[in-house]
Amino acid sequence: MCFNSFFFLFFFMLINYFFFVYFIMNGLSVFFEWEIISFNSMSIVMSILLDWMSLLFMMFVSLISSVVIFYSKSYMNSELNLNRFIILVLMFVFSMVLLIISPNLISILLGWDGLGLISYCLVIYYQNLKSYNAGMLTALSNRIGDVMILMVICWVMNYGSWNYIFYFDFMKNDYVMFIISFMIIIAAMTKSAQIPFSSWLPAAMAAPTPVSALVHSSTLVTAGVYLLIRFNYLLIDMFFFKVLLFLSILTMFMSGISANYEFDLKKIIALSTLSQLGLMMSILSLGFPDIAFFHLLTHAMFKALLFMCAGVIIHMMNDIQDIRYMGGLSLYIPLTSLCLNISNLSLCGIPFLSGFYSKDLILEMVSFNSFNLMVFILFYLSTGLTVFYTFRLIMYVMINDFNLMMIYNLYDEDYIMLNSMFVLLFMSLLSGSFLSWFIFSYPYMIYLPFNLKLMVIYVSILGSILGFMVSNMGIYSLNKLLLSYNLSSFLCLMWFMPNLSTYGLSYIYLNFSQILFKNIDMGWSEIYSGKGIFNILKNYSVFYNIYQMNNFKIYLFSFILWFMILFIFFFI
Amino acid sequence: MAQIPLGVKTHAQKVCSLYKRALRNLEAYYDRRHVYRYQAVLLRERFDKHAKETNMIKANEFLKEGEEELFLKQHPIPKYFATSPGGVAHERVVTPPDWVLDYWHPLEKAQYPEYFKKREQRKKEFVAMWEKEYGKPDEKDKHH
Repeated sequence: MCFNSFFFLFFFMLINYFFFVYFIMNGLSVFFEWEIISFNSMSIVMSILLDWMSLLFMMFVSLISSVVIFYSKSYMNSELNLNRFIILVLMFVFSMVLLIISPNLISILLGWDGLGLISYCLVIYYQNLKSYNAGMLTALSNRIGDVMILMVICWVMNYGSWNYIFYFDFMKNDYVMFIISFMIIIAAMTKSAQIPFSSWLPAAMAAPTPVSALVHSSTLVTAGVYLLIRFNYLLIDMFFFKVLLFLSILTMFMSGISANYEFDLKKIIALSTLSQLGLMMSILSLGFPDIAFFHLLTHAMFKALLFMCAGVIIHMMNDIQDIRYMGGLSLYIPLTSLCLNISNLSLCGIPFLSGFYSKDLILEMVSFNSFNLMVFILFYLSTGLTVFYTFRLIMYVMINDFNLMMIYNLYDEDYIMLNSMFVLLFMSLLSGSFLSWFIFSYPYMIYLPFNLKLMVIYVSILGSILGFMVSNMGIYSLNKLLLSYNLSSFLCLMWFMPNLSTYGLSYIYLNFSQILFKNIDMGWSEIYSGKGIFNILKNYSVFYNIYQMNNFKIYLFSFILWFMILFIFFFI
Repeated sequence: MAQIPLGVKTHAQKVCSLYKRALRNLEAYYDRRHVYRYQAVLLRERFDKHAKETNMIKANEFLKEGEEELFLKQHPIPKYFATSPGGVAHERVVTPPDWVLDYWHPLEKAQYPEYFKKREQRKKEFVAMWEKEYGKPDEKDKHH
């Protein structure tokens, strides 16, 4: 099953690649329409849009999912129900493809809902308590987005059809478009885990690692960004871009800080994903959808690779994910540490790896266009924080003394996992340049002063020095966390937002519903319907039982009664 | 009846529990072994200073202060083992309880004849071993 799916998806990726190259070179775009029902003036039409953006995204999605399925052949080989897992992953890929190719809102809804529900099934795959809680959090956060898209469908019916791509150019400044943009932005924010809805992404790391590599790094969370890229005309003229900019920059900053205090390997990578998602959303809200798309694709590559390396390490450590248990692994798992290092450096934006092309372009566009000072500061600060937590991760896991509890687990030679990682390594090295040659037919003209151009490098060097120093101090001497305990707790628990969005929102309603349940469901409604009627009937039947107990007096009395009635009716 | 565990702990047990939890908390802060060992020795010295206290009122006060300090300084992300409660991989693989085997269909049981031949005997031996070690259960405990 694994190999079949891998070959199918790889072949699909190759087809998409050839069509993508053909389409983008010739500037083509294909719109299929299939009329399902047509009756008088109403017609139900299923449509598919294939332009270079959909084909490119489908190529990347199928590449990553084929590699992840191949990887999970070895990662999940002790799993009894591997077929179930592979089928869930394939259904996920199918929903994602449906979302990518659809130019109308109904099929977007089908893909969107499918993504949310299947990611729930994948998160609760290991059926323990943490997974169930994480699954609930994931599913309910995504549900908010689903509700928003449903309402958008209702509002778009005002225009007569659900093909949104036709309506952008002549419906700006319309009140209906205002409401639609508001709801679409909230839907994208829930899926891409921006600030009010960001608690589900670190929690969803309870899923198996191949799921995290596919779903939570490259496909599910980028679905929101992709939707907003498709709808980006709504952002340009309305004021929403300010709100989205504010929230996404805060997300980027908050998750960058939280990743510095986090000790679970997968949660650090999840927070890093969250930070990059904030970056994508913020550059999108500044008006550059193609750069956002570029970063989406390069990020997908190295983030999936990072998750897969984390998976190898977790396998080695017998399911321990805490980086405090790890140390000094780079000498013992050379190939995995190669992949880990390259993907980490690509994440930091080291020159000429794939992350550099997208990240550097984003930062240069931010510096070139005159935006707010806070925007500028937070962008560069978050870039520095990225380097900071990356170096901290490498310090804890790879460098320094050997900290493992046993030695014989050091097994790097699983070639199934390694081969899948090498495919992504190849793409993670080259996809930056390859995509920049394809997508940008002419480069952006950017004129910057010398120091501003090098600001990225200054910030990266500063971040790496700080990461090195802080980890050194944290590992080898007094832990400064104790000195600023309140601040550290605030920063490491994601600014207490998960607590706000779980306890804060649901506690008062659950309390109230307990009162209602005890007083009404188990109280008054029992008296008036369930137990009460039963009691009445029982008491009446006890009462009437007396008349049926063969009491002779009853018979005589009823004889006299009937006699009197007959006498009254017939003789008076 | 002496085998039923009561909920009351002795003072020594409480102090030992506090010590163990404090050590695990230290492990969360200092994860390299030699650094942790140094801090653990310092902590042990703090406990040993009041170890021979005979006045129970003072001893209880020290215990209470220790619990308070542990609560205020607990690590926000404690270090758990993966398969223990609180860890990531806890209860990932579920082992069905033993009584499920009694509900198997006879055709399924026929696939493992050797095992099921000896199963009743094994159950009797297990109950005998339990009763030898812990005594017979009280008749009053069997029914509410």
